[in-house]
Amino acid sequence: MSREHPLKRVERGLKVPPRRRLDLIEEVDADVRALQAELERRGRTPGQARRAALRQAVPDDRALADLEARHAPPLGRWAGATGWIDRAVVLGVALAATLAGFIAVIAMYGSGVPLVPAFVIWPLAVVIAALAANLSWAVIQLLVHGDLRPRQRRLLWTRQAGLVVAAVALGALGAAWVGRVTLAPLEPQMWAEPMWEPPVLEAVARMATVAGTGLAAAVFGLFGWLALTPRLLTDEEAERRIARFFAQARPHLALASDPSVDNEHRGES
Amino acid sequence: MQQITLSKRINELLVLAVLDHGPAHGYQIALSVEERTGGAFSFQHGTLYPILHRLEAEGRLQSEWHGERRRRKTYHLTAAGRAELAAGAEELERQFQALFGLIRGTHVA
Repeated sequence: MSREHPLKRVERGLKVPPRRRLDLIEEVDADVRALQAELERRGRTPGQARRAALRQAVPDDRALADLEARHAPPLGRWAGATGWIDRAVVLGVALAATLAGFIAVIAMYGSGVPLVPAFVIWPLAVVIAALAANLSWAVIQLLVHGDLRPRQRRLLWTRQAGLVVAAVALGALGAAWVGRVTLAPLEPQMWAEPMWEPPVLEAVARMATVAGTGLAAAVFGLFGWLALTPRLLTDEEAERRIARFFAQARPHLALASDPSVDNEHRGES
Repeated sequence: MQQITLSKRINELLVLAVLDHGPAHGYQIALSVEERTGGAFSFQHGTLYPILHRLEAEGRLQSEWHGERRRRKTYHLTAAGRAELAAGAEELERQFQALFGLIRGTHVA
């Protein structure tokens, strides 16, 4: 017999904001307990009463779909009604990534830094596109489902941190490369003349531009991170309460192993 | 009003009718519907919750949470819900009269 709490399936299957999930599982749990007590008072055994209460109150897939449609954010309701919910996520992410990557390439090629090698420009563009994709994925999930599960949230932060580090590293690598190419020929001159001579300053400016591009990408990633953090912290609190709810719940009779549940699945209002 | 199926409409009216007698928890509504209709109608597999939440979102019901450690939710009817119950019951009665008039061959004016 499965020892999973019967409401765990509900919590797992319901794609709505954590606060709504918490409210629903608490509401259903309170009703199941009260209904079980009432049925026991009427002469049912605890097991029978428990199963009857679970059968009556725990939402099935159809009820979950109705609840999801009711509590999804407006964009999610619209996307759900048009059947574009999955495509909306994929299209949004693809669009954001393409646009960010395109802008990054144009900006870098148009920045007057012809010496930046392609092995820096293109990976940096990919990193910027990936940052945009990662952030837009999280934002669209929140807009469509209102929900980013703990595992998805950890994935978001891990990817974002990795990409921010990669952007800074690529910027530094590009700057070092530009420095090597532009400053090496000037080395004899640098010892002979003051540092602020135009060719040296120009080389330093080029290095700073390349390093700045990497830093700008990192800042873009960090800003996105900061923009999402307040919302995700609020959700985190609800998630903690959901985890506490299940941790405190005593082992329950499982629905899945009870054949009478499916047999009585028909004929309800 | 948005177009909904007859069974959804009946479910809504069942809930509103029960709450017309006073505030109740979800399980009390489900039990009451089953008992007071002699088992002709019942809410199984959590089908009650989407109805309650829809009616609440439409302003026909209001809910309150009670308790701290273990919270419970109570629903009660609003004035809009009471008006909806009266109008809905009248509409449904007319529709069923017409339906049974057709089935039994009786003319309904």
